Amino acid sequence: MVQPAASHTTHARLALVALLVGSACGSPPPLDKQLGTLASWTATMQLAKERHGAGAITGTYATQLRDRADEAFQQASTTIGGSARTRADSGYAAAALDSLRGAIRQLEAEIGS
Amino acid sequence: MKKWGELALGVVTSIGGFLEVGSIATSAQGGAEFGYQLAWVLLLGTLSLAILMEMTGRLAAVSKRTYADLLRERFGYRFFVLPLVAVFVVSLLVLTSEVGGVSIALQMATGVDFRWWAIPTVLVGWFLLWRGNFSVVEQGTAMLGLVAISFAVGALVLHPTWPTLGRALLPSLPAHDRARYWYLAISMLGASISPYLYLFYSAGAIEDDWTIEHLGVNRITAGLGNVFGGGLAIAALVTAALVLAPRGIKVDRYEQIALVLATPLGRAGFVLFIMTLFITCFGSTLEIVLAIAYLLAQGFGWSWSENLKPGKDARFSTSYTVLILLAALPIVAGMDPLSLTNISMVVTAASLPVTVIPLFVLMNDGDILNTHVNGWASNLALVVIALFSLALLVAALPLQLLGGG
Repeated sequence: MVQPAASHTTHARLALVALLVGSACGSPPPLDKQLGTLASWTATMQLAKERHGAGAITGTYATQLRDRADEAFQQASTTIGGSARTRADSGYAAAALDSLRGAIRQLEAEIGS
Repeated sequence: MKKWGELALGVVTSIGGFLEVGSIATSAQGGAEFGYQLAWVLLLGTLSLAILMEMTGRLAAVSKRTYADLLRERFGYRFFVLPLVAVFVVSLLVLTSEVGGVSIALQMATGVDFRWWAIPTVLVGWFLLWRGNFSVVEQGTAMLGLVAISFAVGALVLHPTWPTLGRALLPSLPAHDRARYWYLAISMLGASISPYLYLFYSAGAIEDDWTIEHLGVNRITAGLGNVFGGGLAIAALVTAALVLAPRGIKVDRYEQIALVLATPLGRAGFVLFIMTLFITCFGSTLEIVLAIAYLLAQGFGWSWSENLKPGKDARFSTSYTVLILLAALPIVAGMDPLSLTNISMVVTAASLPVTVIPLFVLMNDGDILNTHVNGWASNLALVVIALFSLALLVAALPLQLLGGG
């Protein structure tokens, strides 16, 4: 049965709204994206530790980087479980979280906080 | 001799004024995620901006009216509302991002949270606008902005592979994350070709009393200045490609970007990065707030000039006072400056057609430009820019949803 044009328009609007809402506040980010973010912050901590050790950056700035990494860690801790669908996924997630936590601790030891 | 002085000053102003929060952030993100591959976007953006600035400068020098004035006169007030609203909204977003950039630079230097710096930043900016004149805003901040050359030094110290960088100046498709690649491409274009840049340039030509005799200065300033400025944006991309990409670091927060200069240049690089972010964003804050105030004044027919005492152009002065204070509010509220910058740059790219397409009509109007109308090559370039600005308009929202996260 052919639907009236107004109905098509309504469906299209609903689909667009659903897409926008879904994109804005839907499910947690995919696992690979979260793993990428954790790996990126782990590498940031390692570089910050190296640069602080070489005297290239201040302790104040290194502390700010540590705080941002800690925020990323806290956020991932609450959302990554929802993205891990298999036991292997959960293993990757735990390993990535552990790596970041270790890198944060190493930077803290370097800057003495 | 005076001409050479103006020329040198114009080129320096363009170099110092090119880099700002958007180009630093998006170039660093592009380099960190895709290496040199997005360098072509910066080349395209730089050439487009140079062409648009040359045209709006020529328009102002020949007609003795700004681009905004001519838009209103030629197309009528009803049409003018469209670019007025679009540029107002977009520029206010970019202005807020610049205030965020200054605040982050101060946070990096002092450790005091960026939210505390937004109000002091806009108060100092407002004071300079209130007490200073156009030269202070345009030349003072641009001269200091030459500190951005530190990105070029950083890139050279890192020894980029020139043939690979040369190949990246030609467009290529990504091997991974296509949506993210095109999203960053649009952000980088938005950062390179913000409408405020050519509206400010056009108003500046009137403030500096340009005439037909300045057409040569205009051409060289727009060309050389932007090519050098674009070169600095490419240098920022290169440093991120060589420092962040090999380590798998993506730029999620502004704080990470300082590492791109602290790695090749040590403590000096770290200090230079903070100075560059502070000075270029502060300079852009002043330029953008003036550009919006110019647009409002020219649109509503108010008296305007940064060279007049505030009492002589009260509505113009009130506009920039209110605007600069407004821009601080989202930063005080704690909005993430990097997310704000990315959104601003994409929206900026989407707004380009409303200021680029009417320029085609004006640049071919013999009543306005006499013998200085566009030739075929200029028209071809403008048509190409107009077409890709339309593509940006269509692609901006889907790519914000697909690649913005």
